[in-house]
Amino acid sequence: MPTELPYAADAEVSLSYDELEVLRLQYEKEVEAGHVTIQTKFNYAWGLVKSPVSEDQVEGVRLLQEIYRSEPARRRECLYYLALGHYKMGNYDDAKKFNGLLLEKEPSNLQAHSLQTLVDQRLARDGYIGMALAGGAAAIGTILLAGLIRRATRSK
Amino acid sequence: MANSGGPPNKDKKRNPRAALDPLTTDAMAGSSTSSSGPSKLEVVSKAIMAPFHRRVDSNRILSELAPVIMTPRMMSSAGTVSSRPKASLRDKSSNSSHALDFATLGRAPLRMTLGGRRVTSRDLQIVEATEELLDAEVPEPEGVASDVSFLRGFNATIPSAEKSRSRRRQTRNLEVGEKLGLKRLGMSARGLLTEEEGHESVVSEEDMVMVGDRGRKERARGRRRGRESMAAGKKLGVDELRRQSDEIKRDKENLHVKRKLINNEIVEITHKIEALDKIRQKLERDLLKLQEEDLELEDELEGVREQLEVQASARGGSQRPSSMGPQSSRRRKGPVFLPSEHDDLPPGVAFMSLESHQTPITALDFSEPYGTLVTASQEDTQPRVWDLLTGEEIGRLRGHRGSVKCIQVEGNMCLTGGEDGTVRLWDLERVDEDDDWEGVGELSVVAEETDESHEDDGLLVEKPNDLKSIRNDTNGSLPEKTGPCVRVLEGHTKAVSTIYFEDDCLVTGASDKTLRQWDLSTGQCVMTMDILWAISHPTSSTPGSTLPAHLIPGAAAAAGSFAVPTPPYADGSWEMYQDFVGAVQFWGYALVSGSGDGAVRMWDMRTGQPHRTLLGHTGPVTCLQFDELHIASGSLDKSIRIWDLRTGGIFETLKYDHAVTALQFDSRKIVAATGENGIKIYNRTSMQHSTLLTNGHTRPVERLRYMDRYLVSGGRDAMVKIWAL
Repeated sequence: MPTELPYAADAEVSLSYDELEVLRLQYEKEVEAGHVTIQTKFNYAWGLVKSPVSEDQVEGVRLLQEIYRSEPARRRECLYYLALGHYKMGNYDDAKKFNGLLLEKEPSNLQAHSLQTLVDQRLARDGYIGMALAGGAAAIGTILLAGLIRRATRSK
Repeated sequence: MANSGGPPNKDKKRNPRAALDPLTTDAMAGSSTSSSGPSKLEVVSKAIMAPFHRRVDSNRILSELAPVIMTPRMMSSAGTVSSRPKASLRDKSSNSSHALDFATLGRAPLRMTLGGRRVTSRDLQIVEATEELLDAEVPEPEGVASDVSFLRGFNATIPSAEKSRSRRRQTRNLEVGEKLGLKRLGMSARGLLTEEEGHESVVSEEDMVMVGDRGRKERARGRRRGRESMAAGKKLGVDELRRQSDEIKRDKENLHVKRKLINNEIVEITHKIEALDKIRQKLERDLLKLQEEDLELEDELEGVREQLEVQASARGGSQRPSSMGPQSSRRRKGPVFLPSEHDDLPPGVAFMSLESHQTPITALDFSEPYGTLVTASQEDTQPRVWDLLTGEEIGRLRGHRGSVKCIQVEGNMCLTGGEDGTVRLWDLERVDEDDDWEGVGELSVVAEETDESHEDDGLLVEKPNDLKSIRNDTNGSLPEKTGPCVRVLEGHTKAVSTIYFEDDCLVTGASDKTLRQWDLSTGQCVMTMDILWAISHPTSSTPGSTLPAHLIPGAAAAAGSFAVPTPPYADGSWEMYQDFVGAVQFWGYALVSGSGDGAVRMWDMRTGQPHRTLLGHTGPVTCLQFDELHIASGSLDKSIRIWDLRTGGIFETLKYDHAVTALQFDSRKIVAATGENGIKIYNRTSMQHSTLLTNGHTRPVERLRYMDRYLVSGGRDAMVKIWAL
């Protein structure tokens, strides 16, 4: 596959409302006609993933999944978009999985590597928050426990 | 994220909560991750919660967290992730697997603060699909997938790809005007001009931007703007021109991409249509099959009902004509029960070949599927008896002094008619004794003697024991010498070419141009019907048909021998056809005969007079059969005609390339031997012809007989083939 993939930053640039609307209308028109071309479906899905609205992103990823299922020849390409979609939705784990699968197939894919680092960064950041939270919880826990123990010993 | 860059009109689409929240970016990131974290999170959270387990007040926060964190999906994935090989790569960062857990936990508070964004089923749906998708095979991209990436296609087809073009249009208003003129011309020619304006007012311009429509609309837009700026008449600079040429190049490339996409789509659709066509054909075949099954069931029901009636009337004591008996008529046989394996045989394939004859098969009949078969061939006086279950020859019927031309088998009873002018009745149960029996000559001598003495009055040669007594005395009290031949019926002066019997009533047709009716229980010739007489006294009841000059004048006029060369078979061979009476069949008192003068005659067996003659064939009739509605007759004139029994008119005519020598039909199909190697089947329901060839005869088929889905055919290649239908 040509490495014609957008970088993650591209996914952050949303289309204008009008543009997305055009893609949506095109898609819906084809749905009504009974035959959706893959490109149209992808266009709409990609437009949705680029959108900042989380419902749109979910829908976009869903469409990408449909493409992935029905078009085996397009799967490899789809892997990256699915990873991007999940990344945008914040499903970093899933993003990592899809991206990992892609890297397995194409170890030299630049875009995939860049996405990998981005995902890792996000995971690390969330990790710190989590650690802090767990740490805080642990601290509260120990304090409470200590208090309880003290009260118990004192009442004896 | 782009929440600052979006135009204001986007807000209406956005979750208001999310718009207000300062943490939107993270909300987007975190809110839908309801179930993102697989791995050992469950363990971790359990470990954290454990100390607080009984503290109602303090674990409130965490217990609220728990359902969010621990979706069922995570539970399951926690188990699967580590075991899956594909996951190894993702666990490469397993050093940070703790960090991973914390990451999930870290996102939890965000989720709580933004709790308004509900986790829809769609979120769950797509996340749950992950595993399945990851498991799917990822093949190498091929076809258009390797040429045009999604992104390429996307960039080529999104609306903004047209921007540069319309911009150029604006700057080059004159050209646009010209193009518009052309377009307008074309539109008016197609009568679309009037609609054009309405079109635009109904749908916004952007709505109409489709791969096909876009160009037109853009042009329309360009036109409007072009007109506005027409007066300005800009002069374009070198840079601008260069830029434009680059843009045009890019646009051309885009066009190329689009073309590829569309071509690919067309190819795909073609494939799909082909696949669907195949499915459709299959379904149609299934439908036809069902229809036939339905008819089959109807037939079956009818048969059962008839038997019921017969039994009821028998109990009532009223004596019905014997021909109405339950197993009376060949064509009315009830459902035949075939061995269950028969259904597994591929239809239309000959699954058994019996080869023992040396000459073309002249007659065959069998008792029932997988029962007993009797076959005869040219220049062979001994018909052979076969066990259809094993395909082995059981024995031979010795007695005739000429070749055998017609056979009918019912149960263990077998009648054969031969060139020696005799009809012989055989008991097939006794055939195996045949080999031990050595008195072949003795019987024929006896027959010969009686033959001379009784020839004229057509009495049957009375043998000391008739069929009934044989059946009663199967204990072996009979002399062993008798062998399978039970009776010899003599009377015809020339070759017996066709026989038909039901119960005790037998009708024979012979080359002496007479039909004779016999009583099998007494062996008497009950009646003789002279076809020559019938020809010379045309029946007045034939509606509107003037008897044409005799088709075979020599045959009709002279009492001499009848002989016509057959039209050449498919392999070029031909024979002298000498059977003046090609076929007979009766039901009750109604007798139908097909004869060498090309006529199909209907006789009343009570009076012995023909009451109707069906004319139409232009060659000798070789075979016929009738049912409640129709008579089907086959002739050397290379056609099969279906006659309406009531009106006497031709209901249907089937044309073939060669002479028809045998046929049998039921309500659904006509099976015929038409001088070709293949057996012809005409489906009366679908009006379609088909040919049985697989593993079939190597020379033209001449005789056939079927019951239910079991067909036996004999050909000029001296082979007998057994088919599953």
